[in-house]
Amino acid sequence: MIALLPPIDRDRRVALLLSGPAGLILLALFALPLGLLFAVSLQAPPGTPPGPSLAAYERLLTTPHHLGAVWNSVKLSLAVTVLTLLVGYPASFAIARAKGRWRSLMLGCLFLPLSASVIVKAFAWTILLRSSGIVNTVLLGLGIVDAPVRMIFTETALIVGAVNVFLPFMILPVYAVVAQLDPRLSEAAATLGANPAAGFLKVTLPVTMPGIVAGVALVSALSVSAYVVPTLLIGERYPTLASTIAKAYLLTREPAFGAAAGVVLLVIAVAIVVLSSRLAREGRA
Amino acid sequence: MEGGGMAAHLSVRGVSKRFGATPVLTDIDLRMARGELVTLLGPSGCGKTTLLRVIAGLTQPDSGVLELAGRDITRLPPYRRNVGVVFQNYALFPHLDVAGNVAFGLKLRKRPKAEIDASVKRALELVHLGALADRPVRALSGGQQQRVALARAIAVEPSVILFDEALSALDRKLRETMQGELRRLLRQIGATAVFVTHDQEEALTMSDRVAVMHRGRIDQLADPRTLYDRPATAFALSFVGQSLRLPGTVVDADGDGSMVETAVGQVRAPRRFLPGSPVIVATRPEHVRLAEGENTLHGTVTGVTFQGSRSVVEIDAGGAVLMAELPGRQALPDPGTPVSFGWPVAETLLFPAEEAA
Repeated sequence: MIALLPPIDRDRRVALLLSGPAGLILLALFALPLGLLFAVSLQAPPGTPPGPSLAAYERLLTTPHHLGAVWNSVKLSLAVTVLTLLVGYPASFAIARAKGRWRSLMLGCLFLPLSASVIVKAFAWTILLRSSGIVNTVLLGLGIVDAPVRMIFTETALIVGAVNVFLPFMILPVYAVVAQLDPRLSEAAATLGANPAAGFLKVTLPVTMPGIVAGVALVSALSVSAYVVPTLLIGERYPTLASTIAKAYLLTREPAFGAAAGVVLLVIAVAIVVLSSRLAREGRA
Repeated sequence: MEGGGMAAHLSVRGVSKRFGATPVLTDIDLRMARGELVTLLGPSGCGKTTLLRVIAGLTQPDSGVLELAGRDITRLPPYRRNVGVVFQNYALFPHLDVAGNVAFGLKLRKRPKAEIDASVKRALELVHLGALADRPVRALSGGQQQRVALARAIAVEPSVILFDEALSALDRKLRETMQGELRRLLRQIGATAVFVTHDQEEALTMSDRVAVMHRGRIDQLADPRTLYDRPATAFALSFVGQSLRLPGTVVDADGDGSMVETAVGQVRAPRRFLPGSPVIVATRPEHVRLAEGENTLHGTVTGVTFQGSRSVVEIDAGGAVLMAELPGRQALPDPGTPVSFGWPVAETLLFPAEEAA
């Protein structure tokens, strides 16, 4: 039967058949849990009539304290994304332009920390930044400050640590595009009358945009849901969506509220990814 | 056409460039008239691409002066030189469509939109791509990309257009078509152009003059005919066209030229050298006849190739394989036949041996 079909239909049928198992796995591991999460988030609070209810969402999005957590997550994500882009974009060029051993060394420095747990890295930052930590010891020793500077449990510490943890996820996709960038494109732009700034804005930046968008999507989605880094580097003073979820499940035992926060987090992350891939498509057109 | 008498449109004087300790260009002089087409011809590593990049401003020379259209451009960055470059891989902007690529330079020059549109249309029509203006450049064939690169370069009306092996990525048939078309088009718009190539046929076909480059120097700068008939060095001889070459020693010199002793016999040449000089004696295959001539050597036929309008006979003369190109349909000897072959003294070239490539 299959042999009688036109080749394209046959190919499509075979492709569908072959992608079946992967589709089933995705369905079981992602669609199903997400469906359950959504269902739980609609549970009515105890002491009210059962049935679907938006009470958990209402509480999350109207209470100033919880709204602050949403805003904190978004703020952290924005700051980390912008800073990793500012550091990572030029760093990607440095790696791509480096030769042989230097390039391997730089890529090694980038990859190696990925093998250490994020908890280890966050703890490392607490050791560096605490009152008796290396940074303060050096500052005191050099007489630059008279008393230890309070660094740990500040927003600055949080952002520095988060940028450190998430930087590889910006550099890798940007580097992948930059490494493919033909240096003759800039030269062609120059011979056509583009000074270095114009050449960068009109050629290099748009050509590397897909890498930037991929990096932005990755880092913003990862940092908006960051849990370990804020918990260790700033703690209770800075509630985030992730810590709200953890508290609802582990401390106050309010699964509906935790699930609602999870859904909101998911919506924000998906919105970022969709928005950035749309930007990428427009950039390419 | 020679840039000598009038003020040269493009003038390169005493340009040298080293990469580390390696000299890549040594004391290059090149003067081109307006509307002239010049090819830089040479093997890879001879410095031809570096010279092109120096003219474009993409590489800074260590010493020397460049002048273009009456102004000193030696210290100007590429974006102030008004030079068009067609790169080997075309370097088209992948994020722009065909018209966007061609308009790039015009937009930077802040021309009014109507003027840009008209210039883009004209440039694309010149290269026969008018119908593809809104295609993405990725969707084009190699030949079409080459045309877009050309249209992009000519749209800004540069003072000189530089071609870096611009045809070498195309297949042979397309390349030959493009050679003729490109030459016609450059004549039509009165462009001054420099081609870089390692393809001697392309050099002879495309240009008014050819600069044969060898180890960072211009060995000879001449029109194609002179280059072929009177190569200035043994390198120029070996790089352009076929030739038969024999090493030898000058045994006698008088007012008429030199007598050279080679491994297979004595040969007379019109150029004079001191007796005792090691030399290379040469001639072109089309001057050789299978009969005694002013210069005569003896050998054995090793192969015969019929090529339609002519035939090529390979002769082994004492270990050296020589070639004779015979016109028309004459009776040809069988391989293994001993033959005498000769050529005129006037067509005998003589070079110092140390110049050999």
